[in-house]
This record gives sequence, C-alpha cells and structure tokens, in this order.
Amino acid sequence: MSEKAKFWILLGLLLASIALLAYLNYSSERLFIG
Amino acid sequence: MSEPPRSKLRIANNLLFACIVVINLYIIAAPLWPQVSYWWQAHHSSRRSDLTQLIHQQLAKTSAKPQPNSLVIPAMMLNQPTLEGPESNWFNLLKQGIWRWPASSTPDQGGNTVFLAHRFSYTGPHGAFYYLNKLKPGDEIGVVWSGKTYTYKVASSTEVLPTDTSIENNTANAEITLFTCTPLWHPVNRLVVVAKLETNP
Repeated sequence: MSEKAKFWILLGLLLASIALLAYLNYSSERLFIG
Repeated sequence: MSEPPRSKLRIANNLLFACIVVINLYIIAAPLWPQVSYWWQAHHSSRRSDLTQLIHQQLAKTSAKPQPNSLVIPAMMLNQPTLEGPESNWFNLLKQGIWRWPASSTPDQGGNTVFLAHRFSYTGPHGAFYYLNKLKPGDEIGVVWSGKTYTYKVASSTEVLPTDTSIENNTANAEITLFTCTPLWHPVNRLVVVAKLETNP
C-alpha cells in the first residue's frame, strides 16, 4: 500500500476516533430523566 | 502540484497513528481511572472512616466548622456540597456537581428528596456519583441541610430506564433518592439508590 493511501486511511480513522469520543461524551452528559 | 516526499508522508502517518492510539486508549482507560483512585484511597488513606466520623461529629454538633448543604457518603469517599437551581439550568448545574431535583422535597420536609449527579463524562472523568454503584444496603449517608445533619441507611440499589420518572415521586416516609447514569461507557440506564431516614435531628 502506498504512503498516500495509508495517510487517507489513518486520517479517516483519526476523525472517526474523535467522533466516537465526542459521541460518548455527549451521551454520558445526557443524565436528565423523563 | 507536486506530491510531498515519501519521508514526510511517513512522518505524518506515524503521527496520525500515534494520535489514534492515544485517543482510543483514553476512550478505554478514562472511565476506569477513578477505580484506581478509589482502590488507592481505600487501601492507603483513612478517608472513609474520617467521613463516618464527620457525620457523627455533625450530629453531635462537635464539628469545628459548620458545613453547607451537602452529601457525606463514606462508602463513596464523598463529601460534596449540593446545588440548588431551576430545571431550565440542569445542564450547567450537573456539570458543577450534585443537584437537588427542584420539584422534589427537602430533608427537613420529609418525603422524597432527589439528588442527581454525573457518574462519568470524558470532559470530567470523576463525576460526583461515579462510585454510586459501591453503595450497598445498610451503608450510611449523611445529608447536611440548613445546618442540621440527617442520616439515612441505604435500602436498595436498582437500575431503571431513563423514562422511568416514578423514582422522583414523593413518598409518605422520609427518604432520599440518588441517581446517576449507568453503565460507564454507554450510559443508557439510570442507577438509582434509595435510602431511608435513620436520624432526624
């Protein structure tokens, strides 16, 4: 695999990781009941 | 446009890989870190017995300094003021700590007093009720309210759906309801602890 292809895959994984962290943080702060 | 040299791309890829590893390690490890802290306090400090002593000092009014309205829970190593505020401001209040549900009762009036707090969030890993799952039936809870200390004994610990508002209903007997999110990584339910009044000052 070329370095350029690896770069785009890793960039995608980084963005997915950040999105997962943001989602988990958001869901943990929705404590409100009802 | 010329392509970046291979060595620069390789450095960028290594950096991206390192960032991915760090973020994912944080996602996995952050919810567990307070467990380590709890274990350390349980084995290397007298905080739990100090808090039990504090409740009894407050009851006997021999404490050196009066406390603001607060929850003192030795089994959770917790001694923290409670916040008052309107429902419309719930998000900010919960970010600051323990919030008394404004529609619920207060310890001096009897009935059901409801306190809620975050268990865990990635921007503040150690929520006030992180250790709520450590409470077992019979554990002691002290509530300092308007300068008086009320003690409660844990009666039950259950999980309910977030839509189950019955936990906030008023009750004939004096009790407190503490609730937070559960489980840690994907908090879809609510962990609810109910404690019955033991000592009314």
